[in-house]
Amino acid sequence: MFKKILQSLSRSQTAKTETAKQVPAKNPAPAAHQARGVLNQIAQPAATPSKSQTPEELCQITPKMSKDQIKAQLKLLYRRYNRSASSLDSKIRSEADQMLTAIVTVREKNFGEI
Amino acid sequence: MAEYVGIDLGTTLSGLAYLKPDGNPEIVPNSDGERLTPSVVFFEAHEDVKLVGSAARDGGEPDRTVFQIKRYMDDPEHLVEIDGKKWTPAEISALILSKLKRDCSKIIGEIKEVVITVPANFNELARKSTIAAAEMADLKVKRLVNEPTAAAVYYAHSQGVQGRILVYDLGGGTLDVTILNVEGDNIRILTSEGARHLGGSNFDEMLLEAYAEQYRKQTGAKLFTDERHRRRVLQTTEDAKKMLSKLQRVNDTVANDKNDGIARIDLTRESFEKLIRQMLTRTVMLVEQALDSAKLKTSEIDHVVLVGGSTRIPKVKTVLEKLFGKTPKSCGNVDECVALGAAIFAKRSARIQEVCNASYGTLAMVYNARTGDEKLMNSIVIPKNTPIPCSRTQIYQTSEDNERVIEVDITQGEDEDAKFVDVIGRITLEVPPNRPKGCEIAVTFSYDENQRVRALVVDKLSGRSREVAVSYKGAGVLSEEDLKRKSAHLRTMRIE
Repeated sequence: MFKKILQSLSRSQTAKTETAKQVPAKNPAPAAHQARGVLNQIAQPAATPSKSQTPEELCQITPKMSKDQIKAQLKLLYRRYNRSASSLDSKIRSEADQMLTAIVTVREKNFGEI
Repeated sequence: MAEYVGIDLGTTLSGLAYLKPDGNPEIVPNSDGERLTPSVVFFEAHEDVKLVGSAARDGGEPDRTVFQIKRYMDDPEHLVEIDGKKWTPAEISALILSKLKRDCSKIIGEIKEVVITVPANFNELARKSTIAAAEMADLKVKRLVNEPTAAAVYYAHSQGVQGRILVYDLGGGTLDVTILNVEGDNIRILTSEGARHLGGSNFDEMLLEAYAEQYRKQTGAKLFTDERHRRRVLQTTEDAKKMLSKLQRVNDTVANDKNDGIARIDLTRESFEKLIRQMLTRTVMLVEQALDSAKLKTSEIDHVVLVGGSTRIPKVKTVLEKLFGKTPKSCGNVDECVALGAAIFAKRSARIQEVCNASYGTLAMVYNARTGDEKLMNSIVIPKNTPIPCSRTQIYQTSEDNERVIEVDITQGEDEDAKFVDVIGRITLEVPPNRPKGCEIAVTFSYDENQRVRALVVDKLSGRSREVAVSYKGAGVLSEEDLKRKSAHLRTMRIE
């Protein structure tokens, strides 16, 4: 059922650049981020924490979500940002730290303190 | 000569253990009479000597003292400059290892080959740097072993337990959670999860902020304005933290070095627990992640084992007891069991089945024929937790007509979203011209017992192939020549 077509990073970035050339964007698409050293991270984590956003907004938690959905979303985000928290890039690490704080805050609100 | 030797090269403390003829491991003290050596190096200005351990930690010259170098083992840009010479994290670590080797060999005889422990989530470069540090210290690394694995090996050995064990290893700088199964003499690792930058030193920094805040409120002045004084107060907060593991309340007085007065600090265990609560919640989330990764429920864990100095904090035990419904057990001295386990591991590594620490795969446009959806994904070839050694193959198709060069990115990470994985290498394979898109390419990853990965790309139509060892060869990795030169230089140094 699934067809897997090899797609290298350089090719996907070329495709992005070509798309960007055709449609002038208001904000230029971020180039592939070359983290220092061993880790060559493809892009910045999707959410960049902003002080004006609530922890729920940062974690994309909506009032309609069930407890199970919230739990699943927090688990997914924790896995992602715990990994980013090990980045050599201090900016990514700092953003991941803010996200982890938001994740814990939402968890405590919804499931109580440990 | 000591045949089986294990070294715990820790963020804050390091230790060396050896296996006695009776099969039991023992910690070997350093020349200062200490069982564990603080992982601190002091570069003395007046004498050509490098102090390692307590003397270095208590030296008081922050500009010439290096703490927690382990946190930077995978950072090729982190260099410590002393008197115009730049030291890499591997070189600093080599000084610590040299001190251990020189001191301990006076007691147990010549030390040639060792097992060194590393955090479970140490990446390729950090592992390579650790091996380089050992080689500079004239030590041959028999194996690297994950810290919680070593601790679990010691726990299983000393307690004679069987069943599923979850090891919660909260050290000075990192948290590791490992789940393993013990059956007779055989140990099978099921999963390991880790969090960098989460450990006792984070709690010390939080207490330091609390001290500074109280000082500001009482005197209107800053508690510290330079690194030297900040270090002194940090040591005080670490002592207060340790006291709060034994007492409910600690009273302390602090002053800055500008004669702005003395402030009285009143700390309760309750307020400290409140301060670190969110960090502890993060540790619980890592435990849950490990359980999910091993597809286990809390009720399926037979023993919860505490490792690392920070597990002395009573709240850590309370939180885990609440989560698992059973009292966590400590494996004796929580600071020593990693080194002790490494010494046992040196002899029994053949009986210990380890797993891949991360998933390896490539980037692919995955097309769902049923829904018509397609998206760029991290396509995993070897999933995390696959027992090692192992080898797995996936078949992919080329994306364009007349494609001359096949590029295969090698990814590390579990997330299917390509944004949240790391590309750690690339294989390019030249193929014959004039072929339509859709030609089959086999991508095989192999993973050996030393956690090294190889990748093989085969063009099925032409039979052309290319195989590479996936290894970091960029900045921060020393050549053989450099290693030999630095090792020779290190042997001439006075290290106390």
